[in-house]
Order: sequence, then structure tokens, then C-alpha cells
Amino acid sequence: MNTGCDETHCITCSDEGVPMQVVEVSATGLALCAGGDGGRSEVMTDLVGAVSPGDSVLVHAGVALTRLA
Amino acid sequence: MRFVDEYRDAELGRVLASEIVATVEPGRQYKVMEVCGGHTHTIYKYGVDDLLPENVELVHGPGCPVCVIPMGRVDDAIAVAREPGVIFTCFGDMMRVPGGHGTLLEAKAQGADVRMVYSPLDALRLARENPERDVVFFAVGFETTAPSTALTLMRAKAEGARNFSVFCNHVTIVPPLRALLESPDLRLDGFIGPGHVSTVVGARPFEFIPADYRKPIVISGFEPLDLLQSVHMILRQLAEGRCEVENQYKRVVPYDGNPQALAVLAEVFELRPHFEWRGLGFISHSALKLSAAYSGFDAELRYPVPGVRVADPKACQCGEVLKGVIKPWECKVFGTACTPERPIGTCMVSSEGACAAYYNFGRFAREREVV
Repeated sequence: MNTGCDETHCITCSDEGVPMQVVEVSATGLALCAGGDGGRSEVMTDLVGAVSPGDSVLVHAGVALTRLA
Repeated sequence: MRFVDEYRDAELGRVLASEIVATVEPGRQYKVMEVCGGHTHTIYKYGVDDLLPENVELVHGPGCPVCVIPMGRVDDAIAVAREPGVIFTCFGDMMRVPGGHGTLLEAKAQGADVRMVYSPLDALRLARENPERDVVFFAVGFETTAPSTALTLMRAKAEGARNFSVFCNHVTIVPPLRALLESPDLRLDGFIGPGHVSTVVGARPFEFIPADYRKPIVISGFEPLDLLQSVHMILRQLAEGRCEVENQYKRVVPYDGNPQALAVLAEVFELRPHFEWRGLGFISHSALKLSAAYSGFDAELRYPVPGVRVADPKACQCGEVLKGVIKPWECKVFGTACTPERPIGTCMVSSEGACAAYYNFGRFAREREVV
């Protein structure tokens, strides 16, 4: 997941949304997710209900905003 | 990658471009505003505007949350960052935004402990790891980003975190759009609506645009084909004499938004009576502050904040750029005194700011438009 701010990318932004795949689910409402570039990060999944490994979600600033069908 | 590659197909792009050409009325000038900085970024990265007929002009709106933060709020952030014992955290772009007295990056160089984080959750993690320090998160962003701050604050409250607070600058999308539409110097035919903000708030809040101002709006995704299709949908509405809210980004945006996210926002935040927007002035009910239930985490109550209003530099025309009155390269200091390395205005700071998007993708050599 490209989360750095550089000349082509701004994570602050409002309208950044990164498709990611759930790799591992923890008991604390967090899920380890992988982006298209192979980078992994911890994501809050409170807004999309229970997730399972393999599910695709749209992630913004550490939160899964919606599921991708 | 799925959900990305299929929306960047060049052949489909050419087909859509020819459909757009067939839809426009020759001799009529069209001005369409993309509200969101993410759209501006895609348009210039992929050259979407080069595929449009000459009489269809894309105008860049106020949807970059970095670009609309007034200088006085940056000064407030720096004042908090300089408080003894504070670890001040923010997204990377905010570190380079100039206030009246420098940037957070300069404050860091002078000794303030300012750190870049990728999410508010990272800031809360820092608070856990540094119990003897006070961690403050500089919260910036529209309704897309606010749920992340809200969920982090709910976790902080559940954990009983005492050394974590938020300097809240979250803003809402509808009031500035209404302010723009009331602006007498604005001439627009339609809007490309913000996709991921709508993931949270839905498409319904934008119904006032066709209802009160008789202009079409199409909620759009962020890939080049999404934008081409959205422009086509707006032009088709205009050709057919319709104006309504259409949702091009149905694969992600439910018409009524995400109810869980809206509930979280309602619990953690409340509307400020008014908030200053760079270039747009004070707009009523256009920003969020922490609700009474979360006031213990409010950095503005925990630390002395100067709260001084700072006028934008005279040479800076960010306000006119944000309203779409001028193009970035028409600003007097664009690419000379104001560059991404040394920005004067916020539109040159964020990569989603209209000026930086033009500058970074080599679109600053155009001739000045004769009006």
C-alpha cells in the first residue's frame, strides 16, 4: 500500500481510497490487509461488519469504508 | 489489479471520448467542476482533459482538505506542537503547509517533536508506546477521513487513554458547495461529485444541486474511465435538458451512504457554528469539532491555541483557483515564486491540489487563456 505523501500521492486526502485484500483478522476489530503493491497495513473494519481472509475492501486512512464485490 | 486495471483501458477510453464528442453541441461552451482533489489528480496524471473536446472545460473545485486549511489553523497546530512534552502527529502533506510563522516541518527542525503518521490509529499507537508523553493528532479531511478519527477516538476512550488528543479540522462537503453555487462570479454547467466522500454520506446530500440550482451532478470514481464516463453522463443530462444526481460510482457508493459511518460521526463530532476556508472565507456549519462526550480528547481545550486569523499572502491566488475562477497557471506566482518545493499557497502543497497537479504533470506551459 502506498501510504507516503509525495509528488504523486496525498494520504490526507479526502478522496484517496485503496482497494486491499484481508489477509488476517484479529480479535480487536483490526484486520491485516494487503494492497496491490504487496504492502501490508492494519485496518479498522468496524464500518463493514465481520470480514474474512480473502475479502476485498476499500481503505482510507486506516479504515475500511466499504466492501468491494 | 482487480478494481483498478479494468478502469484504465485505453481503447475503452477512446470509445468514451468519441461518445463525448458526439454528445456536445458544437459552439456551446461547457464548464464542469470536479469537486474533489483526487479527481484533479487523476485528470492531470492520465491526461483525461486531453481527450475532451475543446469546448468542454474542467474546472477544479475546493475538494482538497489540505488546500482549504487557513494559515491561522496551521499556526495553531505549530503552537500545540511546541508545547512541552507533546508529540505532534499529522499526515505528511500537512507538514509543508505554510502558516503565518512557518511550517510544521520548520517547527520540527527547530526542535518540536512532529511526526508523520499514516492514520490516526498510528498516533494512538504512539500514545500507548510513549505513556510519559502527550500525543496530539492533527485531524484534517472531509467526511471520508473523519470516520477514521472518530473510530480511533472511540478506541482511545475505551482504552482510557489519557495522553492522546485530537486537533480537529475536519470539514464537511455540502456547505462549501452551496457557498460556491451562491458565488456571483461562478459559471458552471455541472459537477463531478466526490466519490469517496459519498461512500460515507451517500449521493442523497447532493440533491440540492439540481433541486435549488438546476445543475447536474454525477458522483464519480477515480480511475480515468470513471471520469470520462462521468463527464459523458453530465453532458448527456445537459443535452437532454435534465438535471439530477446520478451515481457513476455504484460499485462503491450506496445512494444513502454508510449508516455505520454516519452513526460514528454523529457520536464523536458535532458541527461548528462556522469555520474559515482558505479562499472561501467563513462558512456556517462547515466543519466538525469533538462532541461533549469526547471533549476530554479535544486538543483545543487541552492546550492554549492562539486562534489568530492570518490573511493569505497578497500574491497568492489560491482562493480564485479553489473557486475555479482562474486556472492554476494564470496565478501570478505559479511555477516561479510558488513551487511544490517552496509553496506560497496550499494548492501547491498537496499533490491533489490543483496547482501541484498542474506543476507535477508538466501542464504549466499552456498559454494564458484570453477571456
